[in-house]
Amino acid sequence: MKSGTPIVAVGRPAAGWRDVFVRYGFLLIIAACFLFFALYNPSFLGVGNFKNIAEGSAVLLVVSLGMTLVVALGGIDLSVGVALDFGSAFAIVAMKEFDVAWYAAIAIGVLAGAGVGLLNALLVVRLAVSPFLATLGVYFIGGSVERIFTHGGGPISFRHLPEQYYAIGIGEVLGVPTKVVIAAGLVLVYYVLVERSIIGKRIHGIGLQPSAARVAGLKVKAYTALGLVVASATCAVAGIIASASLRMFTPLAGNAYLMNAIAATFIGASIHPHGRPNVLGTLVGVLFLGMIANGLNLMGLDFNVKAALSGIILVAALALAIAQKRLR
Amino acid sequence: MTDASVAPRAVRTGGLLKSAASLAPLAIFLALLLYLGVAAPSFLAPGTIALILKQAVPNVVVCLGLATVVIAGGDDVISGGIDLSIPAIAVLAAAIVAQLTTIKGAPIAFALAAGMGAALIAGLVNAFLVVVVGMTPLLATLASSSAYVGLASYVTSSRRIEVGDPFIVYLRDGSVGGAPAGVIAVFVLVLIFYFAVHRTRWGLNLQAVGGSRDAAEIAGLFASKFIAQSFVLAAIAGGVDSVFLLARGSGYAPGSEENLLLEMILATFLGAAFSPRRIVTLWGAVLGAVLVAALSIGFGSAGVDIFWTGCIKGGLILIVVASSAVSRNLNR
Repeated sequence: MKSGTPIVAVGRPAAGWRDVFVRYGFLLIIAACFLFFALYNPSFLGVGNFKNIAEGSAVLLVVSLGMTLVVALGGIDLSVGVALDFGSAFAIVAMKEFDVAWYAAIAIGVLAGAGVGLLNALLVVRLAVSPFLATLGVYFIGGSVERIFTHGGGPISFRHLPEQYYAIGIGEVLGVPTKVVIAAGLVLVYYVLVERSIIGKRIHGIGLQPSAARVAGLKVKAYTALGLVVASATCAVAGIIASASLRMFTPLAGNAYLMNAIAATFIGASIHPHGRPNVLGTLVGVLFLGMIANGLNLMGLDFNVKAALSGIILVAALALAIAQKRLR
Repeated sequence: MTDASVAPRAVRTGGLLKSAASLAPLAIFLALLLYLGVAAPSFLAPGTIALILKQAVPNVVVCLGLATVVIAGGDDVISGGIDLSIPAIAVLAAAIVAQLTTIKGAPIAFALAAGMGAALIAGLVNAFLVVVVGMTPLLATLASSSAYVGLASYVTSSRRIEVGDPFIVYLRDGSVGGAPAGVIAVFVLVLIFYFAVHRTRWGLNLQAVGGSRDAAEIAGLFASKFIAQSFVLAAIAGGVDSVFLLARGSGYAPGSEENLLLEMILATFLGAAFSPRRIVTLWGAVLGAVLVAALSIGFGSAGVDIFWTGCIKGGLILIVVASSAVSRNLNR
């Protein structure tokens, strides 16, 4: 932000608290929070509770993967919640009203989410609207469409979900919750795609220097458009997981994940050696936020106190993460 | 921010496509208002103007704040100035005022001071996050607004709180020489902001920083100071807005920040379409806020489903920003 970065490097102390903070600052904070929750309530350390944290983080993790892809490309997506809700709504309604098979319903949900991404891509790539304003507009329109569709925001529940679909939400594979397995699989796919492949190199290149990437012959517009579509489709998967666990579509529920997905992505970037958004960093960010939410729950706080506390913790965590990145 | 958006773009004649693209938002707005006039004849009744102005009051105040931040930070949405937390600050201050007066029975002056104090702290936090920590204003204010809304729920336990204090009621129902008191108060506020930003040395420096931060720093201005001040000023606008929010809603209603945010952004960026150089200005933002309120009232009297209005306003944001992006590209 501040343009007055000194041109000549000011002599830094060789080692000390500053270097420790710059290198490990955020990890130390994670450790401190972990210790605090463990001392406050010993049941925080139970094996079952770690499973709770993983299960509770699955949906946010999937949304954050999509966010990471868009931010790595140099943009931002404020409409992840809309894509999530569309995925959940289309899948539930397809099964409830049209008796569609569970796998087809999943495909319909993912396509509906991709449609949201396509609208973003049209605005950002074709009409050159800034990603922030474009996806903000889609956020408002999407919310309004959800209200119109549900006649004011009432949930659409479907108690007789096909077994296989329900299993996405509550089933287990070899003792691991299915949604954790799905989220882990997506982490692997994203990790290979964004961090370990030539496509990933191009994605980061575009995010760092779009004009240089264009000069180098990369199809910047195609990558940006595809990134937005893939991110929204990923969020739709998160919506399908959420709807399977609750056996219903709750309008506007997706917006709750927006801030946390952004926070996880930027926390992840802050612990990367070059300050880039990256898949494994995002995973750490999501688990940190999941730990905070779980720890606050175990403290038995009132809902409104929790809302205030988690908002403040979010700001503090992001500020620390960015300060750490800038001091580097 | 890009150089193209700093330099005053010459308005060349002849480019039919260019003028069509840049005039599209205004044309669509006028067409919508015209349609509403035809669809709902009551929309053209004399009392409607007063109704629109009263409806616009809280939006005008937050728009003043946002316009100041954009003027100081430049109009690039990502790296320039933007403050998405003004509505959240207004709601937090309103929550504090409502809780203190109605629930705790505190005197209104004390409640207002507490609300303004909270807004001031929120503004300092925003300024700290942007200037000292170095977060982009977008990320900083998006994150901080979630904290402010969370605090508002904590203060009020997410309840609706009626406020019947005479001062708040006067802002809603009172009149000064036939004009609504709230409208007069906000008109004075607009003049104060206009004077500060356009008629003082400080305001001109602020505009210089927003025009080009590097040039301003070379000329000897400490840009960060002005950016920080713009965030504090915006938060103060949010704090002041709390009384108008309470007056319009006859009390505190949880969740009112989202619609305020939508209308604030729509009005401020629509206002840029009125300025000859297509940049965010104070008067443009005020005019934008009044037009948006006119739309809201118009939709209401035309019997349009309330859920559709969010959709239409979101679509308008996209049309406004897309047409300005298109005309900017055509002008290159």
